[in-house]
Amino acid sequence: MKNSINILITISVLLSFAAANAQAKNLKSESVKIFGNCAMCEKTIEKAGNLNNAAKVDWDKDTKMAIISFDTLATSKEEILKRIALAGYDSELFFAPDDTYANLPECCQYERAKKEAHNMESQKQNMTTDHSQHGSMAQENQNKNPLAGVFEHYFSVKDALVSTDGSLASDKAEILLKSVTEVEMDKLSMEVHMAWMKVLKDLKTDIGNIAATKDVDKQRVYFKSLSKDMFEVLKVSKSEKPVYYQFCPMADSGKGANWLSLEEDIKNPYYGSQMLSCGKTVETIK
Amino acid sequence: MTNYKYCLTVFILILSIHFGYGQNVVRYDLTVTDTIVNFSDKEKRAIAVNGQIPMPTLTFTEGDIAEIVVHNKLKEGTSLHWHGVYLPNKEDGVPFLTQMPIAPNTTHTYRFPIIQNGTHWYHSHSGLQEQIGMYGSLILKKKETDPTFREGIDDLPTVPIILSEWTDIKPENVHRMLHNANDWGGIKKGTVQSYSEAIKAGHFKTKLENEWKRMLAMDVSDVYYDKFLINGKNESQLSQFKAGDKVRLRLANGGASSYFWLSYAGGKMTVVANDGNDVEPVEVDRLIIGVSETYDVVVSIPQEDTAYEFLATPEDRTKSASIYLGNGTIQLKSRMPKLKYFEGMEMMNGMMNMDGSMDDMGMDMSLQKMDMNTVMYPEVTGSGDVKMDDKMDHENHSMKADADLVTLNYGMLKAPHSTTLPKDAPVRELRFELTGNMNRYVWSMDNKVLSETDKILIKKGENVRIILYNGSMMRHPMHLHGHDFRVLNGQGEYAPLKNVLDIMPMETDTIEFQANAEGDWFFHCHILYHMMAGMNRVFSYEQQAPNPYLPNKKWAYKKLQKESNKFHFMAENDFASNGNDGRAMLQNTRWSIGTEWRLGYHDDHGYESETHIGRYIGRNQWFMPFVGFDWRYRKTEGIVEKNIFGQGNTKDSRAVLSLGAEYTLPLLITLQGEVFTDGNVRFQLMREDIPISPRLRWAFMVNTDKEYMTGLKYIVTRNLGISTHYDSDMGLGFGTTINY
Repeated sequence: MKNSINILITISVLLSFAAANAQAKNLKSESVKIFGNCAMCEKTIEKAGNLNNAAKVDWDKDTKMAIISFDTLATSKEEILKRIALAGYDSELFFAPDDTYANLPECCQYERAKKEAHNMESQKQNMTTDHSQHGSMAQENQNKNPLAGVFEHYFSVKDALVSTDGSLASDKAEILLKSVTEVEMDKLSMEVHMAWMKVLKDLKTDIGNIAATKDVDKQRVYFKSLSKDMFEVLKVSKSEKPVYYQFCPMADSGKGANWLSLEEDIKNPYYGSQMLSCGKTVETIK
Repeated sequence: MTNYKYCLTVFILILSIHFGYGQNVVRYDLTVTDTIVNFSDKEKRAIAVNGQIPMPTLTFTEGDIAEIVVHNKLKEGTSLHWHGVYLPNKEDGVPFLTQMPIAPNTTHTYRFPIIQNGTHWYHSHSGLQEQIGMYGSLILKKKETDPTFREGIDDLPTVPIILSEWTDIKPENVHRMLHNANDWGGIKKGTVQSYSEAIKAGHFKTKLENEWKRMLAMDVSDVYYDKFLINGKNESQLSQFKAGDKVRLRLANGGASSYFWLSYAGGKMTVVANDGNDVEPVEVDRLIIGVSETYDVVVSIPQEDTAYEFLATPEDRTKSASIYLGNGTIQLKSRMPKLKYFEGMEMMNGMMNMDGSMDDMGMDMSLQKMDMNTVMYPEVTGSGDVKMDDKMDHENHSMKADADLVTLNYGMLKAPHSTTLPKDAPVRELRFELTGNMNRYVWSMDNKVLSETDKILIKKGENVRIILYNGSMMRHPMHLHGHDFRVLNGQGEYAPLKNVLDIMPMETDTIEFQANAEGDWFFHCHILYHMMAGMNRVFSYEQQAPNPYLPNKKWAYKKLQKESNKFHFMAENDFASNGNDGRAMLQNTRWSIGTEWRLGYHDDHGYESETHIGRYIGRNQWFMPFVGFDWRYRKTEGIVEKNIFGQGNTKDSRAVLSLGAEYTLPLLITLQGEVFTDGNVRFQLMREDIPISPRLRWAFMVNTDKEYMTGLKYIVTRNLGISTHYDSDMGLGFGTTINY
């Protein structure tokens, strides 16, 4: 038994020696420019470029130059620079994907090698997404339906839940609550008024509860009954734009839950991004 | 004679154009040979046509007559199927259904008029030849005088692109391993989803529930591939394009079993055609191309001195393939993040009933609109591991942007012209449930494989409407030969025409077509290994004219049926310090012939074997009654062992027949009950291959003869493991397991 262990050890030592020996032969070193900023970049660049026994990258944050040494049989300069670009750093051969660059920590947002126009484009994209986020808040046209503001703010609470953002949902609920109390009830038609009064108390409680917490899971519990009440009102009051009453059977641990949306596409506020497209439209209100 | 004009192209490929009565005969010569390729630093056998993989791109114009001469230099039969093409049945290229296989060292000519246009492809329909090189682009050009000619689309420069994959393992072996639930592919892909990984991901309960419901690790694809290829290369560049250029990519998925996500680093892609049929242009960020589907997309080159990456990522996201459009520094596209398998498993648990059927919870799913796989996509759901708080905001931000990605689904496809069927034709409605059993890799329709069904008769002139429901756990690209069908997708009379329908688990889709081309037409899942497992049907026109290439159709159909229900062999043996432990099995869709043995090194330990011949019952195949034969010899000087029922047995020398049954319990534990001819009764609980960690498996067995066994195995390579086990008969042992 002892013998065989000894043999095993010898073999493995020999093997590893042979492997290490073979590796040293086809080594090549090159100096290349890689765009970046700081020590954090250095860490990311080197980690992305290094490959066990086949490639080693040493980047200097002052000169932006890297010495890459690699085994020509196992890999190539292109492969190394491609990995580094996929980690977010431009070089003479590859531009990093825009979204990867955008996700680098702030200190690493180096000045890119790419043409300006390209950066502009991605900035423009960011701008438009920003805009759509704040869009609903900016529009405050309350002159039409006296309940329009309520619905609008309900949708911003819903959107906050879709993006699973508890503190945003809480803020939006605060605004919603304000708009609920500010509804000019004398301008409501008889029918709508009846429906409104029926749910008003529960509505206020639910909204207050959502505003009071930043825990998305709790908010979603109240949002379920809130949505149901909103639907009751909307059914009577109608809407100029079509509103979709949607249902996800998996929400609330399989009991199912509804919500209202301005879009026909499903964006589920109960799971948010986790199961964004779960659900279907059960009724369209026009 | 002056009307003849010859045109010689590349050395073997001779293309002759013939102006006869205003119709061009366009001829291609295709020579099929064995070859050795090296896609992954290993030399392997493949099949080349005219010396190349993929096969050469064949181009015709609508109105031409195609003449394709196939010279088979292989040692086996072959065939070529013209995927998505309207043609006479005898030219369809399905061996034993529309022709006999093209025998070795013979020549066969396919000849048919081109009566349509669009992006198509062609491939071998013989066995698994498609996996090892027999796929190629088939481009049918629109005439410039065509009234449907679209300026700005049909006049763009085009590039044929065929996607595929390569595995170093012989495809026959891949197929065999799939049937034996060999999880080597999972180990290579890192998708074993073992208990240790589950615990690390905080999903121990999920995994337990998953096994409680008798499911093996779930994956979006079955096979491990060494390389993914675009036009036969993992990376390539088309540097002829400049800034401002628009390019139409004619994409076909020639992969044997891989769906590909397509995305482009130079902005959005405009989808202009699908399965060879024009659709209203629609802009998307990404789309998934099912096995054997084709899409035409228009992309542009936005900047000078930059090449843009067109990225094809297989659905399991293990690797990718790229083609760079343009010249200069390469603008990369970010890679798709790894799938979150345990999220998918949790979702699957919620949808799976205890009886193995699926519950869509009242959501009417169809047309790829609600992709349940989304729960596994980090780019939509946020990354799985949130580390730093200050990074949180950032991630939320990018996450939100990604949620706005436009992903193509079938609901967005709209034909530019009305596609309605004749209104006065009789309607035949057919329903199929797509069924499957992952554990034994049985794929079927209505729980019947091809060898268990007759051809489905239809009449010329009928409108055939097919309602498909996918009750299996995987998506299936269902392909119909010889016809395009309308996909009823809510676009009314502008329903798009397709010949492949990708249908995801729990979806219900309706397709319809006019029966207008007589013959025998295959309708099957285009995942090669599903097709070979029998997920096929044949639509046969009543009272059709005989096929000159196939004089004996009845016999041929039997041959075809047999091909898709072959027996698969597996064997393993543990060479341990205390004896040999092993088994061998021969199985097909329903039958299992298996034998197990325990052979000691001396008479005291004994020698023992059990053979069972059984038949799997039911859709899930959890139940298998069998007849058996047990033989045993051991030298114990007559000590009588008693089982827990008090029945005695020396077991020193025993040869008995038995009758029994096996049933798979929750947690995938096998319960076996057996009555022997000597009156003894035995019950046994057993499970092998419990995934403790990615490479570590635990096994146990206990029975009413008071025998027990427990063991661990560490999987080293595809065929080799290191094992240790304790056996009540043979004691503690260490060894090496070799499996085939």
